Order: sequence, then C-alpha cells, then structure tokens
Amino acid sequence: MTENSTIVLAAGLRLPQTRAGGACAGEDAGHLGATLARELLARTGVDPAELSEVIVGCVGPPHDQANIGRVIALRAGIPRSVPGFTVARNCASGMQAVTTAATKIRAGEGDTYLCMGVEVMSAYPLHFNRKATAMFARLASARSLFSRLGAMAGFRPSMLAPRITLIEGLTDPTVGMIMGLTAERLVRDFAIERDEADAFALESHERARAARDRGRFERETAPHFPFGKRGPGKVGAAVQHDDGIRDDQSMERLGRLRPYFDKTDGIVTVGNSCGITDGAAGLLVTTEARARDLGLQPLAALRSWAWAGCDPARMGLGPVFASARALDAAGCQLADVGVVEVNEAFAAQVIACRRAFASDEFAQKHLGRSQALGHLSPERTNRNGGAIALGHPVGATGARLLLTAAHELSVSDSELGLATLCIGGGQGGAVVLERVAA
Amino acid sequence: MSTETAKPKLELPFGAMPEDAPEPGSCIRIEHADDGLVRLVLAPPHRKLAVLDLALMRDLDLALDEIENDPTVRGLVITGREPLSFAAGADVKAIEAVETVEQALELVRFGQRTFDRIALLSRHGGGGLVTVAAVGGPVPGGAYELALACDRIVCADDPKTRVGLPEVKLGIYPGWGGTQRLPRRIGIPRALGAILSGRLYRARAAKKLGLVDRLTHPEYLVRVASDIALDRLECPRRERGLWRYLIDLNPLARDFVKRQAEKTVRRQTRGHYPAPLKALELVVRAPGIPLPAGLEEEARGVAPLIAGPVAKSLVGLFGLSEDAKKLGLLPSGEKPARIGRAGVIGGGVMGGAIASLLAEKHVDTRIRDLDAGALAQAVGAHRAQIQKLEKRRSIDKHEAMAAIDRLEATTAGAGFGRCDLVVEAVAERLEVKQAVFGELARELADDAILATNTSSLSVTQIAEGIPHPERVVGMHVINPVRRMPLVEIVRGEATSDEVVARTARLALDLGKTPVVVKDVAGFLVNRLLGPYLDEALRLWEGGADPEAVDRALLDFGMPMGPFELIDEVGLDIAAHAAESLEEAYGVRMQKSTSLAALVEAGELGKKTLRGVFLYEEKKGRPRKTGRNPRLARPVGGPRHDSSLFPKDLVDRCVLAMVNEAARCLAEGVVAGPGVLDLATVFGMGFAPFRGGLWRFATSLGRDELRGRLEELAQSPGVKDRPGGPERFTPAGELELG
Repeated sequence: MTENSTIVLAAGLRLPQTRAGGACAGEDAGHLGATLARELLARTGVDPAELSEVIVGCVGPPHDQANIGRVIALRAGIPRSVPGFTVARNCASGMQAVTTAATKIRAGEGDTYLCMGVEVMSAYPLHFNRKATAMFARLASARSLFSRLGAMAGFRPSMLAPRITLIEGLTDPTVGMIMGLTAERLVRDFAIERDEADAFALESHERARAARDRGRFERETAPHFPFGKRGPGKVGAAVQHDDGIRDDQSMERLGRLRPYFDKTDGIVTVGNSCGITDGAAGLLVTTEARARDLGLQPLAALRSWAWAGCDPARMGLGPVFASARALDAAGCQLADVGVVEVNEAFAAQVIACRRAFASDEFAQKHLGRSQALGHLSPERTNRNGGAIALGHPVGATGARLLLTAAHELSVSDSELGLATLCIGGGQGGAVVLERVAA
Repeated sequence: MSTETAKPKLELPFGAMPEDAPEPGSCIRIEHADDGLVRLVLAPPHRKLAVLDLALMRDLDLALDEIENDPTVRGLVITGREPLSFAAGADVKAIEAVETVEQALELVRFGQRTFDRIALLSRHGGGGLVTVAAVGGPVPGGAYELALACDRIVCADDPKTRVGLPEVKLGIYPGWGGTQRLPRRIGIPRALGAILSGRLYRARAAKKLGLVDRLTHPEYLVRVASDIALDRLECPRRERGLWRYLIDLNPLARDFVKRQAEKTVRRQTRGHYPAPLKALELVVRAPGIPLPAGLEEEARGVAPLIAGPVAKSLVGLFGLSEDAKKLGLLPSGEKPARIGRAGVIGGGVMGGAIASLLAEKHVDTRIRDLDAGALAQAVGAHRAQIQKLEKRRSIDKHEAMAAIDRLEATTAGAGFGRCDLVVEAVAERLEVKQAVFGELARELADDAILATNTSSLSVTQIAEGIPHPERVVGMHVINPVRRMPLVEIVRGEATSDEVVARTARLALDLGKTPVVVKDVAGFLVNRLLGPYLDEALRLWEGGADPEAVDRALLDFGMPMGPFELIDEVGLDIAAHAAESLEEAYGVRMQKSTSLAALVEAGELGKKTLRGVFLYEEKKGRPRKTGRNPRLARPVGGPRHDSSLFPKDLVDRCVLAMVNEAARCLAEGVVAGPGVLDLATVFGMGFAPFRGGLWRFATSLGRDELRGRLEELAQSPGVKDRPGGPERFTPAGELELG
C-alpha cells in the first residue's frame, strides 16, 4: 500500500463516560451521538458535505431510532446527501464502525468516514413479557365490546413481570450465560484468585485517577451538557470527566463486596467488573493523503485489524485470538507493541487473557502456533486505567479504545499500539495502530 | 339564484380606480368546469400575492354578475393562483389613504356588499349554489372574511398556512362581515378570542377552532373544494348544537362573557385602543340580531376607526416594518445567502438568548464560553424555552428536538471555521472584543461576518486592525431578546453594504425587525433611552414619586414605567450606558448619581429582587412589592418637582427624548423619521398608537414643541440642576426658527 492511501484515524473525540442512571439519565442515544458528531466536526473544521458516509456502532439503539447511524447524521446537521448506517457487534460495535470504514476505503468505496460508537445504557427499556404482549395483541384486534372484555379477562398478574433488556442484552442466548458467568468460567479455568482480581480493579481506578488529574483525558474528551434526570431543560452542570473513577477505592472496600454472578463460590463482584455506562466516542477515518488535504495531522494509522471467534462460554479470551491474527497481519510481535488498550470487561477476564497471551500451551492448543504470543506487560497496558474505572458503554467502547490508544502513541512516544476487546457471543476484535510521522 | 333583473350598480368607493390599475376583468380568472362548476381564481396581473384592492374587488363584482346570470352554474369555488397563495387581505394602502369617515364607510360597504352577494348566492344564504373557499398560505383579515361568506372553507394543511383576523393590530376591527359571520360560525367565546387577539392560526388550530371546515393537502385543495361544491364529497360543518342556546343566545351567559372580556381588554389597552372594545360589543350581539342589521352596525362602527388617529399610527408602523424587510436585500435587489451556521462568543444572558433564538430559527449555532457553568445555564435555558414552545404546540416534537440539537456548546477555542457569522457578546471592553475578533478572523473565511452585540462601543473602533474590516458590523439585539422585536444593525465606517444586508436578513429570519443605524454612541435606542431614564431619576431627585412617574408614563402609553424599566435592564447596565453617553455627548447627558448607592450595595434591579423597587419571586417571576428603602434622595436639595402634574412628568421624560431624536435625525443616525418611529416602537415599546416618537412629536406641532422645550428648560426643576437645561435646548430641526 502506498503511503498516501494508508488508512488513518485523522481525528477523534469522545464525551465523558457517565454511570448509567446518573448525569446522562435523560439522554437519548441520538442526541448524545449528534452532540459528539457536531463537536468533532466543528473542531476539525471538516465540511460535513465531504463525508462519504456516517457509520455508528450501537448495541441497543432506542426503539424509535433503529438506524441510529442515519438519525445521528441528520441530527448533527450533516447534509442529507451523506448516507449513514448502524453496525452492531456487541461490545465491539464502535470498533466495527472503524474497521467497516477501513474495509470500504480499501475497496475504493469513499475515502472519508465519520465512525462512532454510542450507547445510552440509562435508556435501556423494560419490555412487556410475551404473555402480556399476546394479550395486548388480542385486545387490539378485538372489535366488539364483548371480545374486548374477553381479551381483558385474559389478564394475569404474571404479565406485569417485565423483561429487563439490560440483563437479557448482556446474556448470551446460545449458552444461556450472563457475561459475568463467562468471567467466572475463566476464573476456574485459569485459577484466578479474588485478591488478584481486586488488585487489578484498584490499579485501574488509580491509573484513571492519575490520568484524569494530569489532564491526560482532556486531549480526547469534550465537556458535555447532558439531558439529566430532571429533563433536558434542567442542566445542572457540565460533565467534564468520566464519573466512574472512584478516588476512594481500596482493597478493603473492594473486599467487602459480595460476588454478584456466582453468589456462593464466585469472585466476580461489581467492584472488579466494568460499570454500566453512557458514552459516545467518534473517529474520523480516512486516508493519510486526504487527512493532509483536510489540514489534519492524523492521530494514528491503521496497520492491521482482525476479528476472531472462540467459545461463547469463554468469550473473555477473545482478545487473545484476535490479537494473534492482527499481529500476524501486521507482521509484528507483541513485544514490538508499545501501547496496549484492552477492554476491562472483568478484571478476571483480563487476567485470564494475560495468562493465555503468555502461555505456550494455550498457543499450541488454540492458536496453532508453537510459541506464546508474549507478555502483556502491565506497564504498557491500559496506562490510563480501563473500563473498570472509566465504564463500558458497550457500543462506544470499541471506538474509545482506539481513540485512547491512538493518543497514547504520542504520549508514550511509541511506534505501535494494539486495541483489543472481548465480545459477547465468543468473539474478539483487535486493531494494530501505527504512529504517523508529522 | 338572484331573481333581481336590474341590479343597482355599485359605486366604487371614493373616486376612480388608480391609473395603473389593470383592465377590468383581468384580476379574476373565471374557469368553467364541466357539471356546472365555476372556479374564481384570484390572479391579479399586477401583484405576486393577490390583495383585495379596488381592482380585484371590482373584478370580483363583475365575476359575480356573470355567475348570477348563468343558470347552469351549480357550484362555485373561490381560490388563489396557487394552493398556498390565496390573498393577503385588504389593501393596507387603501386604508391608509382614507381621510374621512364617509370615505371609510364607502370602502367598508363596498366590500360588505360584494361579499354579501356571494353569501346570497350560497346555500346558507338562501341561494342555489354550493360555494366553497379553497384557501392556503396566508389568509388574513379581508381574505378570510371573503372565505367566511362561502358555504364551506377548505384549507391547505401546510406549515405556511395562517388563518385569522388580525385587524385589531392595525387599530381597526374586521369590517367586511368578520365580526358578524365568525361568531355565527364558531360561537361567541372563540370568535372573541380570535378577533380580540388578532392571532393568525396554523392550519390544524384553525380546523380545531372551526375557522375552517376541512383540511387537505395543498395538491388536492382545488379538487377537494370542487368535489364539495358539486356535492360529490360531503363536508359536514361542526354544529354548535346546545352551546348555541346556552351561550350565544343566552343573555346571561353573553353578559358574563362580555364583562370578563371587557376587563381583560381594558387592562391591556389602558383605554388607548378603541377597536377591541367596539369589536367585543359587536361580536357579543351578533348571534342575536339579523345579519343585515349586524353588518350595518359593523360598518358604522369601523368607519370612524379607519379614519381615526390610532389606525393611522398602526397602519403607518405596519408599512414601515414592511419597508424594513427590504433591508434584507442586496444592493442588486437579490436575497443574500442565508446564514446557515453561526457562532456566539460569550455565554452570558445576552449571548445565551441570541444563541437560543438562532438555534430555534433553524441556524446551526455554536456558543462558546470559557466558563462551563455559564454554558450549562445557557443550554438549560434554551432547552427549557424550546420545551415551552413544544408544550404550547407552537412547534412539533421533532422540530423541538432539532432545535435543541442545533445548539452546540463548547469551551474549546476553535471550531468556528464553518460559521457564516459570529456574534460576540463578551465583556464591553474594546481590547477584549478586538482580541476575540482578531482570533476569529484567523479561523473564519474572509467573507464570514463578525458581528458585535456591543451597546456602548464604537463598531468602527472594534473593526480597526481586523483583516477585512468590511465584514465587521454591529448587531445590537435589544434586550430582553425574546420580547423586543428590534435589531439595530450598526454600520461602521468600513462595513460593506453586503454585510449590512446579510445581517439584516438574519435579523428578519429570526423574526426581528432590522433598522440600520450610524455608529454613534448609544446608537439610536440607547441614546434616546438615556435622557428618558435619566430625566425620570431627576424628577425623583426633585421630589416626584417613582410610582407617580411610572404611572404617568404607563398612561401615556409606554409598556413599562421608567423606574421599572431601570430595574428590568439592571441598575449596573443602565449606569454603564449612561456613563458612556455622558462621555460621548457631554453635559446634556450628564447622569444622575442617585442610584450609585444601590449599585454599590449590589441591589441591581429585578435580577437581584432589589432595585428602585423591591420584588418577590412569584411563580418564577419577580413581583413588585414596594419601594426600596435604601433609595434616598440627596439631602437638602430643592423639591420643585414634588407637585408636578402627570402631564408635566410625561413631558419631562418624553420631550427630553424628542429633543435628542431631533439631533439624531439632523446627524442622520437613521435614514429618516419613519425609521426612528419604527425603532422607538419596536426597540423601546414607545406607545404604538402614537405611531412612534417622531410622529408623536410632529403631532404636537413644531412651534408648540419648541415653546414647551424652552419652557421646560427654564422651569425651576431643570434650570439650576447639575448639567443644567441643555437637554431641553431645542436642537436639530427644532432649533431652526
């Protein structure tokens, strides 16, 4: 590939990530995404008419904004002539938006894409259950008073039990496990201790706090004036920072929490898992030449990317499978990579990945290679904390990891970066980034 | 159908047709369709949008002759050239030209009789035809009265549609049958609401109220109306049923409704506007009397109003505001490119309100402030405002959502690169404003407009050193932004005509009226308000009661007394404005120092609930509770003004303003007396029924005015005070013998 057609992340921005039901409780994903898109386009000065397309990753779009990619484009004031669509690959949806754009650019289909991930988990609704839905359907089709009364007589108290989309959404339908239980599966496979997991979680908070305090996130976030609990018209204060970071987190506090998923013998608690979060992240994906035309110094180039499948019950190992492919495609070793951003769905899950990365046996058995991928050094991994502190707005995280990793290349003066995450359903995604000369 | 053989020929009102009027018969196209349907299309060759002027009314009369004599006609549709272009109502110029009550009466009767001929042809009037008005777009006043004479009104369901009877806004009331046919159609209470408010209703609201009978897509308008006229399509009219007997024909209920409405009208007009009261009486009586008698009363009542001074003033202002729309055109006569994206620097009350209005009116708007707290307030106020509009159903839900989306708030320095115009509303300091513009000039395109919302600094000075100074312009949106309809467009020495036109067009797009003013201290509105407010303070120092001064000026027709106005704008702001006026104009603007103590104590008016008066927060609004005890007169000063009559109080305040206005006209601050009138009414709420400050001054007579000014200058309260009588020394045109 010639230098000019290298695919780059020309610019990026995200909104501070907030705990669900908190500062962004009244948000709808369309507004959150449009706010970010407007800010990103304004700051880059890119004329939105120049965009080839808008691609948005979102796991749970609001029911009234099914193709949220298009909705966000229109609400952001992007000309109607620019099309938009939505991609979904669970937790990797934001990363999927970027690799989809990259694939399209390679195929010669357009050259400037606005790629985003957005999720408002606060707004995940409750659904009527099947029995209740069926009753309402009968009621709606009843014509006479008599048949209406008949339909209503079918009411049972059990119909009031709602389906909680947040819980059902985080449960793998093919193996019947909620994500936390897949993490417990890895805990048993890799013999992970509770203290280990808690220490990892504490480290995440401490790193995130330090990063926030030294202003590290200011290069990637914009203040946000959210629709809060009391409605859009009551803006309390600007949200300037990720609010999941606990300044007062400690081993003692973490130790007090009871296992949440496997209540009797488990180790995964809400303290060593990622939080339920609202957030949005966006990246401008284009070629290096085009970025220069637009007057932008690219954050990073996309050297390679890969998607991989694995056992849905052990979906947490996805990063190992995907990274192996992506590193191969990039023609480099894990040791060459200076910056790693791996999503912290669960502390135990990242620890399991670390062990699998370093295990020759795992490599031979599952990756078809003789030697381990290498050591996932804590110094180079998630230097600014991860989802345990910053939160995990599922659709947005993939884009957030790329944005943070891209900035971290220059912060840490590294040449190569790796952003990777596990995906519910037994998949992994990984992107190898490369620094772009100024 | 009429059985008359020799119809008495209608005389055209007062004299002949204008010489440039088109040929008889050319203003209305008569289309014969099959099956006995006739369509009358209002299509005057001399106008883009039909106006019910003499020529068109004459041709309508001719067309009716033809229809009356054609036994094959079964149905009649009256419509416009386009579905959304019916007619703009009666000819305001003709109303303006009326000089005597007799002329007015002729004009009214001519219209009444023509419309009555339609009613007599119609089924409801005893004729044999089904008559249908097919309307859409603006359908105000006379145009709607024409429709009211038909059996059915079909209306285009389109955002551009506005139906109503706005005559009271011109100081008159509907005189072509409106006060009679509307209450018969929709009942007394609703008819009162429509006629007294003069509101123009959107299509859905008009249908809901019963102003129209059926809505349809603009594309189907004529087809649906034709089908109704031929009885091929049913179009039931909602009957009032029992309500008619309970209210419209029940003397007790009528009396109650009348008394309630009267109270409201008297409170709102303070006796300055005769039309609403007269209309009220007619509407309430209408259902109980025969139509011809009602029409006669309507005509006799409205004629003196048409010839009267209030209508003259209001019609004059209407004409001036129509003229102001031409400011939004380029010197070539073309419309300049729309401002699609705008920036606002400064998230204070003013900046926030301007940004909110821009975003509401379909401009993508980016507001910046370094203080995220200020931005949060601005954003919150915007969203609350939009939600209020949504709740009131002024805008649909998706429009509200888009209006909220359009406001971007940022603390970042950059991001204005794609803006067509940026307004600054930062601190009133020259170097701050220059720095802001200097920085913006680097990011923005060379032809992007840099507008300053300054109220006290010179636009020319701000533009100094800015690359392409021709794009720097003053855009003084009068505070409070949502209430005052005026924008002063200040032309600096370098400002180009194109920039002035583009900025004026933006003001018009925002629903405001622009006036172009010269770059002098205080521009026009603040320069006139300065002596007015200061004179009120002087009166107080001289012994007059603030309450008495406020009441006198309210009675004069100001929307708010000067002291309350000071509290409204804020004592600090008023003091700052007065200071810069004194600096620029010297002794005649020397400012009273009696509010300094309050400003120092931080009692700055309504925003702090303490100013000249004390306020209490009630339902989120400050309510006056009494006078601030901290307000103290200078000790031992003379008390010449303690026993002045209300008229003297008014003269001191208003004539101080008139004299300054004379100077402004002499200096060419605005293009002429008309613009001055418009600016005073729209920018400070100067009594609209007086037609504006200069019209009021002219009505006094120049010699009288000069005499009165000299008298005031010599009066004991003025002669020896600090600053002396210079404020009242006849100036400008008044100065010449």
